[in-house]
Amino acid sequence: MKHLPPSHRTRMSGPRTVLAAAVVLTTTIGVSGCSSEPADDRTQLTVLSWSGEDVMTPIVESFEEANPDINVQLTTAPPVAEYISTLQNRLGSNTAPDVFVMAAENKTNLIEGGFVMDLSDEPFMDVASEFNTATYTGPDGAEYGLSLSSWASGIMYNKGILEEHGITEFPQDWDSFTEALQTLKDAGEVPFLESWQGFPTSLGSSVGLANYEQGGNVDAAIFEGDATFTELWTEPLTPWQELFQDGLITTDVVGLTGDQVVDEFVNERVAMITAGPWNITAVREGAPDLEFDFAGVPQAGGDPFYTGAASPGWAIYSEAKEPEAAKAFLSFLASEEGVQQFQELTNDMTTTSNFTPEIDEALTQPYQALLDGKFYLPMISWPRYQDALYTELVAQIQLMAQGQATPEAVGTALDARLTQEEGK
Amino acid sequence: MTLTDPRPVVTPKMSTRSGRGTRWWRAPSSPSGSSPGGNRLTLRLFLVPVIIVFIVLFAIPLVQSIWWSFTDFNGYSAETNFIGLRNYANVFSDPSMLAGLSFTIFFTLGTTILITIFAMPLAVVLNRAFLGRNFVRAIFFFPAIPSVAILGLVWGFILNPLGSGALNSLLSSLAGIGPVPWLSDSTLAQISVIVVGVWTSTGWHSILYLAFLQSIPSDYYEVARIDGASAIQRFFYITLPLLMPAMTVSWLLLMTGGLKVYDLPFTLTRGGPGYSTFTITQTIIQNGVSQAKYGQASALAVIFMLIVGIIVAAQLTLSRRLEGKVS
Repeated sequence: MKHLPPSHRTRMSGPRTVLAAAVVLTTTIGVSGCSSEPADDRTQLTVLSWSGEDVMTPIVESFEEANPDINVQLTTAPPVAEYISTLQNRLGSNTAPDVFVMAAENKTNLIEGGFVMDLSDEPFMDVASEFNTATYTGPDGAEYGLSLSSWASGIMYNKGILEEHGITEFPQDWDSFTEALQTLKDAGEVPFLESWQGFPTSLGSSVGLANYEQGGNVDAAIFEGDATFTELWTEPLTPWQELFQDGLITTDVVGLTGDQVVDEFVNERVAMITAGPWNITAVREGAPDLEFDFAGVPQAGGDPFYTGAASPGWAIYSEAKEPEAAKAFLSFLASEEGVQQFQELTNDMTTTSNFTPEIDEALTQPYQALLDGKFYLPMISWPRYQDALYTELVAQIQLMAQGQATPEAVGTALDARLTQEEGK
Repeated sequence: MTLTDPRPVVTPKMSTRSGRGTRWWRAPSSPSGSSPGGNRLTLRLFLVPVIIVFIVLFAIPLVQSIWWSFTDFNGYSAETNFIGLRNYANVFSDPSMLAGLSFTIFFTLGTTILITIFAMPLAVVLNRAFLGRNFVRAIFFFPAIPSVAILGLVWGFILNPLGSGALNSLLSSLAGIGPVPWLSDSTLAQISVIVVGVWTSTGWHSILYLAFLQSIPSDYYEVARIDGASAIQRFFYITLPLLMPAMTVSWLLLMTGGLKVYDLPFTLTRGGPGYSTFTITQTIIQNGVSQAKYGQASALAVIFMLIVGIIVAAQLTLSRRLEGKVS
């Protein structure tokens, strides 16, 4: 800055001020004038998705082509916290989209708050599987979400490493599983890795089997006060803690991200990891010559089991400005064309009755598990307080992996958290 | 710079022992040659944008949060019910909040002390003339530029607890040390988060000290040298006292930043193992957004704001007393 007299540094003369204001005003008016567009006579449908634009834009284009009188105003927000926060803000500020995604994490608040429309009588709901629809059915029996697919995660294993050490068939029971882990460890391999920074597939499958064998409705009983987390969780967690004590699984899993685990697998530094359909592309791209396969997680008390759940459901805002256009959008999503396009874009395992997806060869077993109902995810099975219980659960299982908590303590902590949330 | 150096000397007038002296950063009320009334009006007009920003981004959300803290607002429904102090009573029963409080305090104290210890000598070194000085300054300042969340992700790969992790590979090849569970052991995870926090901010704070350091007249050092003062004596009797205002600013920023920390621990450890690196801000965000308990999250935020305010006020008072003693 040049050295100006103080008066010039601190004051602007009257005409200059007027001139500056005029420039600002002119620019503002000019810019806003430029932004005005010809009026769009089409019905304006607002949609909020947590799938990215790479998935949603082609679907929206196909929908608009089939419905030329509707223009979709698409916005996206990444899952989970940012998406939930965005939807919360829009609901709170009366700018809620006509169509949005309802997930396990917010379904209770959306249904109990009356923010979603009852879709029970809509024809497009007929194609959704019974399980998927039940996931987004409210306590009143009404169906609030259109869920088109499900997912199941299990164990992804390196066939080459296992065969090299004489394991020609993937273990189907707990004893042969631990035997295989020991064989691999003795041979200097890292037998098994998964990320325990979140809730791990291994534990989900074991608790899921226990729940399945007790009729599949234990969580409902827990929330009704007729059962406890301690009763359901202690036995399935115990064998996993023994694996840590025996050194067959490293306690480092509590500090690993999912990406780091997949990276170890791609570089053939680990024999088995837990993974889901979303990992297939990364593994194939990272190691095109790697021979791998999927299998269910072997269990101490029964057949292999999977962790999985129904994918988020599409919902219509109860006060949607364009309810008919919103129903048209969901009808398109549930149509054969819509489901096929969605499946091709996401590789999801769609479960609708009008389309049979081409499943990746490696996902044959997880897909069969979905059809057999042999999968479980506690967070979606819990009717309320999902995030509070999830936070407590992850912290406690990490302590268990480190030997600072027992399997019973994990269940006790969940019971205590539930009691606290219920305000008892 | 010598006594004959033609460069203008910017001499900071430090506060007096009583702390009531003229502050060197206080602008004169009326520059000579201009109308005092007109200047005041212009200066007030300059304040309008920042006042608008303050009201919109701070005052209104603050009042709103205080109101929500007395309600059952869940973030979804606009209908809220007044529930008195129930949210405040529930705040301290949350185990994640109590765990978050202890690590937040540990992180704040750890980073504040370590960054001060490292940043001040670094500033002294960076103030000396040497080849490539500006480049070295830029290198040390660089960690402050990228998003902390991105740095957290990068450090997550460096501190990968497996043998294939970047740091563990280095340690193994150089010293034959086995894999160190940087992020999978509770104590090491806490230390790792603090070390990365120190790494990201030391350069920035050293530049802050450097700015103050450059305003110390070289005459003081020359006189001290003539009197036979050693380098250590010059540091403790000239540099350190005259850097006290910089320390006050640095500590204020470190304390407030440390108490509010969220992104770095979350990207490195997600708050684990267990609750060992859980922070207060993580609890507020989880309560408010993920658990749809905006009312309770707001109560925690209000309590936290008051605690931060008290800590910062105490820290400023202590710093000013310290300034008065050493100046």
